Amino acid sequence: MRWLWLTISVVFGTFGDLLTAKGMSEHGIEDFGVGGLRGVLHHIGTHPLVLLGILFDALSFFALMALLSVSEISFAVPASASSYIVKTALAGWYLGEHVTPRRWWGAICVTAGIVLISL
Amino acid sequence: MRPKNVDASDVAGIAVSKFTNRLFIAVIVITNTIGNILLGTGMERMPDFQGLSVMAYTADLLTNWYVVSGTILLIIWMVAQLSMFTWADLTYVLPVTASAYILTALLSKYFLGERISIARWIGIVIISFGVLLVSETPEDTKHESRIDQ
Repeated sequence: MRWLWLTISVVFGTFGDLLTAKGMSEHGIEDFGVGGLRGVLHHIGTHPLVLLGILFDALSFFALMALLSVSEISFAVPASASSYIVKTALAGWYLGEHVTPRRWWGAICVTAGIVLISL
Repeated sequence: MRPKNVDASDVAGIAVSKFTNRLFIAVIVITNTIGNILLGTGMERMPDFQGLSVMAYTADLLTNWYVVSGTILLIIWMVAQLSMFTWADLTYVLPVTASAYILTALLSKYFLGERISIARWIGIVIISFGVLLVSETPEDTKHESRIDQ
């Protein structure tokens, strides 16, 4: 059962972040004052990709809670850290990001570090 | 003036200052870490859900200072992270803000008195190295003109 919740959490978390990043990248932020914040909030509340991404992130969070209820935190946290690798692999294709070797090593280091921290 | 909603391919890339970039990273890391700690502490202090009606449980949640302040911080975290996606790559934002794991470990040591094992210290060093590696890359690579490596 824990592998099922883990897969659901990683898949929804990955697509959630990809969709929110895609949706937000279409917003041209103009300033960092109250007007800019209002514009960002309006974009978050009205852009279909951002809203769908937030829904997926919420489902991923609930799946992680379910995973924590059936497994130890020392399994749940490092296993779900694998999503960093999946997101990095898909960001080049879906978001058109230029994922350099340096970015890959960064994602691998973060994932390995999270595994060690939660052991 | 840039239109508010434009196709991604038409956006020439938004140049933000290094200070703004670092400020957002700091806000994301701090609000995520402290928000999670407060929410976790608050939920531990909540009564068992099964013994209460939904109304009573909701009332308890809304009057639990830890839950309310933790939720507010996590809303700020979400808005700050989504805002950063407007000018920075997903593969930049996620690793760089993973320093939240380091802050959580250090806060657990200094405020909760938890012991940090050798494995955890090595994990902290490796995450820091990963954060450093990615923070040296340009934050936006979707627009070719801004790639400088």
